[in-house]
Amino acid sequence: MSLTILIITLAFMIVIQSAIPFLLKRTIVFGVSIPETHTNEQALSSYKRRYARIVFSIGFTLLIAYLIWALVNPLSEDQLVLTGLAIQMGTLLLSMVLYLYFHAKTTQLKRAEEWGSTTKQIRIADLQSHAKDEMLPSSMYALPMIITIGLIAYTASQYRFLPDMIPTHWGPSGQPDAFSPKTPFSAVALLFILLITQGMMMGVNHAIKKSGIKLNAQKKKSSQIQQLAFRKYTSWFMLLTSVLVTILMSFFQLTTIHEGFQNPSLMLALPLGFLFVILIATGVYAFKVGQGGSRIPVAIAEEEFIGSTDYDDDEHWKFGVFYVNKQDPSIFIEKRFGVGWGLNYGNPLGYLLLFAPVVLILLIAFFL
Amino acid sequence: MFIQIEPTSDIPIYTQLANQLTELIARGQLKSGETLPSVRSLASDLGVNMHTVNKSYHALEQKGIISIVPKSGAIINSIVSSGITTDNQQKIIEQLKPVIAEAVVFGMIPEEIEQLTTKILKKLKEE
Repeated sequence: MSLTILIITLAFMIVIQSAIPFLLKRTIVFGVSIPETHTNEQALSSYKRRYARIVFSIGFTLLIAYLIWALVNPLSEDQLVLTGLAIQMGTLLLSMVLYLYFHAKTTQLKRAEEWGSTTKQIRIADLQSHAKDEMLPSSMYALPMIITIGLIAYTASQYRFLPDMIPTHWGPSGQPDAFSPKTPFSAVALLFILLITQGMMMGVNHAIKKSGIKLNAQKKKSSQIQQLAFRKYTSWFMLLTSVLVTILMSFFQLTTIHEGFQNPSLMLALPLGFLFVILIATGVYAFKVGQGGSRIPVAIAEEEFIGSTDYDDDEHWKFGVFYVNKQDPSIFIEKRFGVGWGLNYGNPLGYLLLFAPVVLILLIAFFL
Repeated sequence: MFIQIEPTSDIPIYTQLANQLTELIARGQLKSGETLPSVRSLASDLGVNMHTVNKSYHALEQKGIISIVPKSGAIINSIVSSGITTDNQQKIIEQLKPVIAEAVVFGMIPEEIEQLTTKILKKLKEE
């Protein structure tokens, strides 16, 4: 079972990792902004293809070697999982190293050829952008939280019926494999973790909503449509995740309270179904929406801007990956390399939003 | 309703922003009673400091072009229909004079300056 899960996630990860250069906007190549007039350069597409080819071939060679090794040798579960995770980490590390290599090459190329050094750089905003924004309101994210609070109350009312040992961890088969003695705290710890996760997602949704809608000066209308779509689908994707996590964790809480709920096939199927739906949703998000909505087709005529190009903010992007801009009040910003959002490391609020929940969850786990 | 700034220009960003907004009002795209985006959202869209946007809103408020109402935001005032006040006229003359002087120094003749003014006005009325 765990072999299948590891193989599927690994294959999925390799495909996404190697496809990333093609899921991004054409104006950003390996974290370097490229003026619209140079996006068709031969060298750039060859960098992208080389990156994809190397990640894909090495990744799948490792995957097949791992599969054969796992099928031929009688291995313990631990050996299997640890090696699988090590290969996942290795693939990630490989793509990171390759990224840095091509980031350096692209930076060099841009500097050597002096792309965009003579054109006027402008930055565009639409006064009505935020009025057109269709991200879900925070209240939608509050709904699953109400369920959690309800379950906390329910657990409290059923406290005396709870078993003496409360499950705190579940293995790949969906069966609990770690327990804590029953206390009022351990009885609801899982639900507190759920509540914090839901709260964090609500916070992230709110923070993205408040973050800037950055338009491409060369394609102001189509980039706005794509940006707004990207924001909308991000918000739907996060709500889906929040709802799925809620279903999963609530179910496990219910199996703890009522032994009658402990249906082995359901306990096995639910986490797998969860993984499956998340993978599908991620695939759709990455390949149909693309980074910044870049894969959403827009048929709109743009007025040409001759002699001006989008503002080049490479200086704020450390290694083309970390956005550090103390001036910009945005908490989140579209990633440059990868699909999704990254923090503005120049804004301390972002650290609070992401690290506070992690610290809280770690504290709960520590005191269990 | 797009606005455009040039971060590397010699003109400070808050001046560029105030000019762009004034232009939108002159064109009739921003109408009286309408609200400008909040300081935070405009600053994050442009990736500039909130003080910069705040400064340009306050500059516009000082000129009487917008009113900043606590809780509701920055609201566009109506364009004065009874004609310009002597005070404002004085200010316009002060600002225009060095520009016209510069145009003369650069070799423009009075007719050309008049034509240019008409052209700019026409463009503002167009869209």
